Amino acid sequence: MFGLVARVFSGRPTEGLLDGIRDSQMLESLSAFGVVFEEDFLGTPIDRLADDLAGEFVRLFIGPGHHIAPHESVYVRAEEEDLPRLWGKATVEVANFYLEAGLELSTHQTPDHLGLELEAMAVLAEAEAESRETGDLTSAEEIFDMQLVFCRQHLQRWVPRICSDVENETASSFYRNMALLTTSLVEMQCGADTIF
Amino acid sequence: MRMINRRDFLKLGAASAAVLAIESQFHPFVYAAERLAEGGRSVNRNSGLPRSFLPSTCTQCPAGCGTIGYVEESRLVKIGGNTKHLSNESALCARGQAGINALYDPDRLLKPLKRVGQRGRNSWQEISWEEAYREVSENMNAIRGSQARDLVFLTDDIERDALGRRFTNAFGSANAFGASSIYDANKRAGTSLTWGKEGDMPDVAHSKYILAFGANPYESGSQFVGFARRMIDGVLNNQAKLVVFDVRLTITSAKANEVFYVQPGTYALVALAMANVIMQEGLYDGAFIERWTNVSTAQLAQHLAEYTPERAEAETGVSATVIRRVAAEFASTKPATTVTDSMLSAHKNGVQNERAVMLLNIITGNIDIRGGLCIPRQYDLTDPDPVPSTPAPTVATGQSIVAAMTMIKERKQPVGVLMTHGFNPVYANPDGASIEETLKDETLVKYHVAVTPFINETAAMADIILPETTYLEDWDIEVRSSLELVPFVALRQAVVPPLDSAKPFFDIVVELSAAIGGGMQQFFPWKSVDGWLKARISGIGGLTKAGGLDYLKQHGVWYDPKSRPNYGSYQAGGFPTPSGRIEVYSQYLASRNFAPMPAYEPIAAFRTLSEEKNEMILTIYDTALQTDYKTGNCMWVDEILHDNPAWINPETGARLGIIDGDPVKLTRTSRSGEAKQRSIETTAFLSEGVHPQVVAMANGVGHTVFGHVAEGEKFEKNGTTVTGSGIPKFLQDPNSKLIWWGEKGGIGVNAKEIVPVDMDPIGGGEAWGDVVVTLAKG
Repeated sequence: MFGLVARVFSGRPTEGLLDGIRDSQMLESLSAFGVVFEEDFLGTPIDRLADDLAGEFVRLFIGPGHHIAPHESVYVRAEEEDLPRLWGKATVEVANFYLEAGLELSTHQTPDHLGLELEAMAVLAEAEAESRETGDLTSAEEIFDMQLVFCRQHLQRWVPRICSDVENETASSFYRNMALLTTSLVEMQCGADTIF
Repeated sequence: MRMINRRDFLKLGAASAAVLAIESQFHPFVYAAERLAEGGRSVNRNSGLPRSFLPSTCTQCPAGCGTIGYVEESRLVKIGGNTKHLSNESALCARGQAGINALYDPDRLLKPLKRVGQRGRNSWQEISWEEAYREVSENMNAIRGSQARDLVFLTDDIERDALGRRFTNAFGSANAFGASSIYDANKRAGTSLTWGKEGDMPDVAHSKYILAFGANPYESGSQFVGFARRMIDGVLNNQAKLVVFDVRLTITSAKANEVFYVQPGTYALVALAMANVIMQEGLYDGAFIERWTNVSTAQLAQHLAEYTPERAEAETGVSATVIRRVAAEFASTKPATTVTDSMLSAHKNGVQNERAVMLLNIITGNIDIRGGLCIPRQYDLTDPDPVPSTPAPTVATGQSIVAAMTMIKERKQPVGVLMTHGFNPVYANPDGASIEETLKDETLVKYHVAVTPFINETAAMADIILPETTYLEDWDIEVRSSLELVPFVALRQAVVPPLDSAKPFFDIVVELSAAIGGGMQQFFPWKSVDGWLKARISGIGGLTKAGGLDYLKQHGVWYDPKSRPNYGSYQAGGFPTPSGRIEVYSQYLASRNFAPMPAYEPIAAFRTLSEEKNEMILTIYDTALQTDYKTGNCMWVDEILHDNPAWINPETGARLGIIDGDPVKLTRTSRSGEAKQRSIETTAFLSEGVHPQVVAMANGVGHTVFGHVAEGEKFEKNGTTVTGSGIPKFLQDPNSKLIWWGEKGGIGVNAKEIVPVDMDPIGGGEAWGDVVVTLAKG
């Protein structure tokens, strides 16, 4: 599940992604999470929708002028940090977590970008599932714990806040609902002491 | 809370997987389970991230310090000083280190923008580079070859902006202006008239006696860090005595042996009285005067006789005893030098002030000797072929930027296309409000292209903004006057690739020239910036032998390792003046009815200063933290310096009933024919550290358009709007919430707003220091 929102908050949506989300089966699955898209998402021709959302993504997360910087270090500052910045202490903690979890970054994005943190959860969930399938329950438990730790130490302390900012600042029902969904996923994952 | 069961999760998981299966390109992570070690700790933790080091040059201020950019995973994580660089050695100031704030500033402009609605509304839509080039080239071709509507190009430093100059000339316009007249034009004129070269280089590291006039090198200066280090060397290691004359207690004064307040605008009188003492007491270097100046000792003594220490005491406030003593010490301690800066020359009598202070070095023979006042040494760069021919001048050609802007305002210089390159005259020039009015008026400026990494006060008045990279993503050859008196060449190389759609200026100029066409592109034959850079350094043989551009990419700087300072360089061929000597007597000045010998000319406005009307003299000083209009949105420097309360002497405060922290209002005393009075409001900072008749304020803060750091709480109201996305309301930037000083004017005020256009008639440099204001409790 994290894979979907990870993709959504990592860059402009492609027509393929939007088409997939507008698929009836997908919409039904999403509705269980309270996701209700509106006409602006459902009724706009796909090429125009992709353009509109590409613009909205830039405006929301890149600029110019006011925008939401989608980095943990902007939302969460270490005690000794008085300055909002990219590549802060939180970023280093996230980078270290990836190293320890065996996650190697193959892009030049900052490790604490919203999309990447969500993607890390998705990749770990996949690894956990694989371990379970092969019967390596010790590894599976370990990887499950990692997800819990990462969720509680990182996602929980800022993702609901940035998602709430996105909900407040966008008129697009796509980004509003994706933000809402992300918050639900994070809250549920962090609250989990057993596997769903 | 919503009730969601395991089945919902599985369903969404499966559906997501199906959608993402077609998104094959998105795989930011590689999962490598074998990297897991005992206890879940990575065995690779010491390997960390690969880190590269790239030497480059800082341009956060004019000094051009050598830097090292530390890059991890394509991200610049730290900027430090380059130990190999001749100028700053390894040191780097706060602004240099804060360059990273500019690079990764969330307010940076990363897409070309085109204005929506009226000019000056600061409302924009995003366009592609292709559209931007098409639009700009159409507007430029519409005026090409028309003298009635010229291209006017404004930049910060016209000597360093070789590409901008070339672009302007290749288009057929002679009107490329640099901003020297708002910075150091008077100092340049004063030195150039005297010894034939613009500028000076006090060899302070080897001096025994340093006299500073209106200079604050420990806090600011054109070669800030490098010069301050050498001055500290001179004072600490060489036991030089440091004596400072200023109107404010500066950081330099605080560390000087002796400090004297001077009545504003009277520096020349102090210097000339000292020169008089040196002549009268026979402490001069007669041989040097006779051989290397165009006046005789007798002529000089006679000229200086009117400047008695007693007269100086009456007008400058510096006691005759001090003048006699310091003059004698300066003349008898060898080697000695003076240090001057814009506080000395930013007056209507600025050129004469500079010449008067230079005279002290001349009559004591401290010229171009080890520890004395030296002639600047700097490599010349090649202007590579094909060089555009010099276009025909128009009325504004050759004028200062201040005068040119006035001509545009008065409809004497019609502007078809105005291109501002990284320069912000609305903020930086005197009387910015009238510049803003000029830029807003489409009958005065038909079309305005702003090339800049940020939307600032000037870009907000543009028709189109082209997002230039910051200096950290761009290339150039950087030369400066050498502090070691051994010339050097340095490279500014991109430490990270351009962010998003921002482009280096070279790319913009080349691509725009191609879009304009009509033969313009022939002046930019280089396929990449490397070709241009190689051509620029092609005249420096030693560097070519050492490896040329490749050497610079590796080391950041090159100088001839066998080269030593050639003191007394003038002895071989004389000085580059008409007479071949130092021109204490200037025929040029005589022919234009200016005082031909260094002279004291009182500032008229100061003579009538009225205590009853609460009139004061405004001094706008530079700091170590803000570079005029450049650094205002850098968090690390803004957190230290974001406000500029008015320094007021407690004696003055008591007279006006002003206590520390009071709101105060400064109103420029109106001059005849002026429609509006201009005033600014700030708070009072009562301090003995300022002359009782002076009110002093820091430069570089109080932006109205720049970004969330510079604008503080105003940012939320000021935000730019990008249309087409459906939501015109402003976003709440989480960064803005963290600016604790952003409330109630905590971002300071641009004091230059109330400074009128007023220049030294000789040097053309703005007289920033000659503003009389009325001070009142706000």
